Amino acid sequence: MENFTNSIVLPGNLPEVDPVKFTGLNRKYLTVLYARILIVFLILAGGLIAFVSLADETVPEKFIYLIAGAILLIIAYSAIITTLGFPKKGYLIREKDVSFQRGLITYKVTSVPLNRIQHVEVNQGVLGKMLQLSSVKIYTAGGTSSDLTIPGLSKPEARKMKAFLSGKISEHE
Amino acid sequence: MNSIDLTTPTRQSARGLVLIFLFSFQKFVRAFWPLFLVLVFQNNIFQNQRVIYISILVFVVLLAAHTILYYLNFYFYVVGDEFILKKGYLRKQTLSVPLERIQSVNTKQNLIQQVLDVVTLEIDTAGTVGKELKIHALSKAYSNALQEKLQTEKSTKKWAEETTAEETEKAKEETLLHLSPTDLLRIGISQNHIRAGLIIIAFGMQLFNQAQDVFQEQADKYSNEFIEFMSHSNWALITFLVIFFLLVSILFSLLRTVLKYFDFKLFKRAETYRIESGLLNKRNVIIPHQKVQELNWETGPLKKIFGIYHLVFKQAVSGQNRRQQQQLVDAPGCLKHHLERLKSDLFGEDKLNEAPRIYTNNFYFRRLWLLFGWIPAILASPFFYSDWIFWGAALVWLLAAAGYCYLIIKKRYFRVKNNQIRISKGAISHKWEQMELHKIQAVEFKQSIFQKRRSLASLDLMNASGTITIPFIDEKIAKQLYNYLLYHTEISKRSWM
Repeated sequence: MENFTNSIVLPGNLPEVDPVKFTGLNRKYLTVLYARILIVFLILAGGLIAFVSLADETVPEKFIYLIAGAILLIIAYSAIITTLGFPKKGYLIREKDVSFQRGLITYKVTSVPLNRIQHVEVNQGVLGKMLQLSSVKIYTAGGTSSDLTIPGLSKPEARKMKAFLSGKISEHE
Repeated sequence: MNSIDLTTPTRQSARGLVLIFLFSFQKFVRAFWPLFLVLVFQNNIFQNQRVIYISILVFVVLLAAHTILYYLNFYFYVVGDEFILKKGYLRKQTLSVPLERIQSVNTKQNLIQQVLDVVTLEIDTAGTVGKELKIHALSKAYSNALQEKLQTEKSTKKWAEETTAEETEKAKEETLLHLSPTDLLRIGISQNHIRAGLIIIAFGMQLFNQAQDVFQEQADKYSNEFIEFMSHSNWALITFLVIFFLLVSILFSLLRTVLKYFDFKLFKRAETYRIESGLLNKRNVIIPHQKVQELNWETGPLKKIFGIYHLVFKQAVSGQNRRQQQQLVDAPGCLKHHLERLKSDLFGEDKLNEAPRIYTNNFYFRRLWLLFGWIPAILASPFFYSDWIFWGAALVWLLAAAGYCYLIIKKRYFRVKNNQIRISKGAISHKWEQMELHKIQAVEFKQSIFQKRRSLASLDLMNASGTITIPFIDEKIAKQLYNYLLYHTEISKRSWM
């Protein structure tokens, strides 16, 4: 290991993290994302209605339209980004690391080497429970910035992934 | 080696009773101060002086009883290879840590503790129990014995295969750096006075506001006088004010430096550093080499004149107390040879200078200028109608921002060789961050659509102490580096901690 040299400015033939090889998330997860947007919409719209009906003076119509327009714009934007960005989301498990990619406007890939995983957790939210979806959370010693969450996995898929990753942890200990 | 038997259950120092009493008092007051306020203002309860005395007496007696019970039920000892701490009288608690899990043992001493000659001992483990393992009133002798025990335990275990016992014995403590009062003066002068100045201004404003509320009338009178005085005054006065302000900032920086770094000493023994420093609050911190994730050092225009660097050991710490911990383990006033020595201790032979500097792309400049220059200028544009002077100000701002961003990108580069990476950054001051590649916990590749158009990308390297960012480099290099970093971390047999 010590005498290994490979200057990075020269092209090496190291294995690449190829975006094409990533596995996409379960389509049902898109429903979860839409539901989240819907919840945000309901909260914002509810807030506006409450404000208008509870205000002491009559609120000018122009103002209501402006705010309502802004809310619709934000919701439409998030819906479009979510829809177009969904195919970008995916995970890749290789022999020695696990990666997750996402992002339409800013594309991001995060990789965690298997020998740096501290522990693995399978989580399920309320929406996930209804749709039989789980997420796998991978903890490293790097704190929140380097913890990796892979959402939108079917329950057996998540369980299998956790079993595989946990097996790798005990190998490295 | 030492007369203290660590295996017998020991209580805290008896002198510590005073300290425990004060700590409990402080805790109690902190929890119940609103209640006190209510009692004080409802003076009908306190009409009778007797009631006051009796309630104070009851309070003191109860607190004293708590102190004694707490003291009697708080003890600790070493059994086999575990450190055990028992505490609590109502709810009993036993904490145990295997000695090999203990990362370091640090001590702190505030003014009262210095008078009582006791220390706060903090045992830092890899897990999260560390915060619980605090002993506030430990005799110095015991804490030294414990530190000694843990250090020898560690080094003998580590060296067992490679070296003989004789060599272990030889591992004496060596002083690497000892700051004299002159050094402190240099460090104080070369601090960032702008930051210190801003703290003073913020503090002063707050004080002024409060004073204004209280002395509204006088304040009005004085401020009117002041404005009149200012409008009639000349440049000499303004210069005087600026110099005065600068002097206050420097004095403030000096004071802070002396309080924090008084009698600063950096020791090395085997594979650990030890830092001792402080005037009112003394600290004694142990830094095992392998726990250092990243070495950061910094110099600025004033520091350069004295040839000094400010150095920070970034250690692996668990979650919440990250920032607090990192503040503790810095070494100001290192000279070039100190820095080189520490680097070679931690990273071995420095081959990074042979590696080419890979600079950030010029596009990063445009991005920064947009962020620092144009966006604030555009946000301020409504003012442009009121006075032509704002146009001038905006122009000056844009030029200054351009200069600043130019400084940033000139300093922003990285070098990588074998298992080392070093990044350089800064604007007016110059900072470096170096780490070993096997300390990596995760790597992130980031590319916005704007970067993609120009085939650029950014990388984040996360380790157990934070993140190192490499912004706006060629996409191809970013990808290669990404693969290389993963490869290196994956084949490395060395532990990150």
